[in-house]
Amino acid sequence: MYTLRRWWDRHGLRMGLVFLALGSAWVLRQTQGAAVFEIYQRVSRPFESMPTSAERIETAEMQELQQRLAELESQNQQLQEMLGYVQSRPTEGITAPIIGRSADHWWQQVTLSRGSRDGIQVGGIVAGPGGLVGRITHVTPSTSRVLLVSDPTSQVGVTISRSRHMGYMRGQAANRAVMEFFDKVPDVQPGDVVSTSSFSQLFPPGFPIGRVESVNLSKSPAPEAVIELSAPINALEWVVVYPNSRTEIPNSP
Amino acid sequence: MNWVVTAFSVLLCLFILPTRLPGMELLGVGPNWLLIWVVAWSIRRTVWQGAIAGLVLGLIQDGMTAPHPTHAISLAVVGMLTARIQKQRYIQEDFISVALIVFGMAVLAETITAVQFSLQGIGASAYAAHRALAEVWFYHQRIALSSAILSSLWAPVVYYPLNRWWQQANAVEPSQT
Repeated sequence: MYTLRRWWDRHGLRMGLVFLALGSAWVLRQTQGAAVFEIYQRVSRPFESMPTSAERIETAEMQELQQRLAELESQNQQLQEMLGYVQSRPTEGITAPIIGRSADHWWQQVTLSRGSRDGIQVGGIVAGPGGLVGRITHVTPSTSRVLLVSDPTSQVGVTISRSRHMGYMRGQAANRAVMEFFDKVPDVQPGDVVSTSSFSQLFPPGFPIGRVESVNLSKSPAPEAVIELSAPINALEWVVVYPNSRTEIPNSP
Repeated sequence: MNWVVTAFSVLLCLFILPTRLPGMELLGVGPNWLLIWVVAWSIRRTVWQGAIAGLVLGLIQDGMTAPHPTHAISLAVVGMLTARIQKQRYIQEDFISVALIVFGMAVLAETITAVQFSLQGIGASAYAAHRALAEVWFYHQRIALSSAILSSLWAPVVYYPLNRWWQQANAVEPSQT
């Protein structure tokens, strides 16, 4: 009896705690942890966002539908624009999707998923919504590579539509280009429309290219103008390729 | 089997090169996947192996963009230097140092290309289509930095699985390589 008493004195508290833990665990098990979840719910209530789960799912579904609608609408609009664009051109073009960009940083190129099987030839003129985009430089049976007008090596003879002052244009990456004038004092002002000139050896005349953004008349050796290309080259998804009649002199600017 | 996987990984890098996935672009410049691959390859190999890998991938990239100036020189130099660094044991092998190597090598590769463009501009006649010297170096600043940052951030994606595979392949067949 004495030894039992001494054992209880020494281990009683510990035994009590163990039984308490076991007991409460058992209760929780029998009630499917109701207490835990109740407490959890109380604690987490301040962090809860307002709409219930059903509402949230509904909103998500609606958002998904809206997004799908927007995508379809923009696609539809783009295709319609392309259709109108093709129709407004005298010659028949080949509509081609852009599937890739330049594989290195120094060249401004895009890859189209139409090639010689679809009738695309080297030297073809590539235009998008907004105007001239570039020129076909390589063709494989089902892809073709376009050198964009924004590439520094692609030089285009251009003219100011309003005053007919001529010059040539070099690309400057992104959607800017620099136009150098042939005249010392050209009649040009910001906002003027720029298009390909009849002196251009690679492009047919009269293709719209962009607008004059700023003019630097004191630049040596020739006055310069910065041109903003009107085709959104970085955002293009579709372009139209026209056969080119001016491909006799391939290696000159 | 080892060669098949290696070739497949190169192919994957080539396919990803012309795509511009969202989040992979900085000022219109994406990561230089081939450079990352060359660094991952040469980090545990000899100078010659690195040079040859750089040469091969550079030639492929020439085919995908434009052959003048060539990418083979810059990638071969990258391969050789990466292999040299490994010899000197200055740099341990983990993600951070691989990212650092890729950063330095990307800047180096773009600089070599820019030098090539400058030489081309000096040699060319005034009427041929070439890039002006000032433009080349201005553009170099822009793309060298963004390409280096992006490439070094994406380097582990290529480096880790490839390195694991090569380690395992070497463990199975120690006689190879």
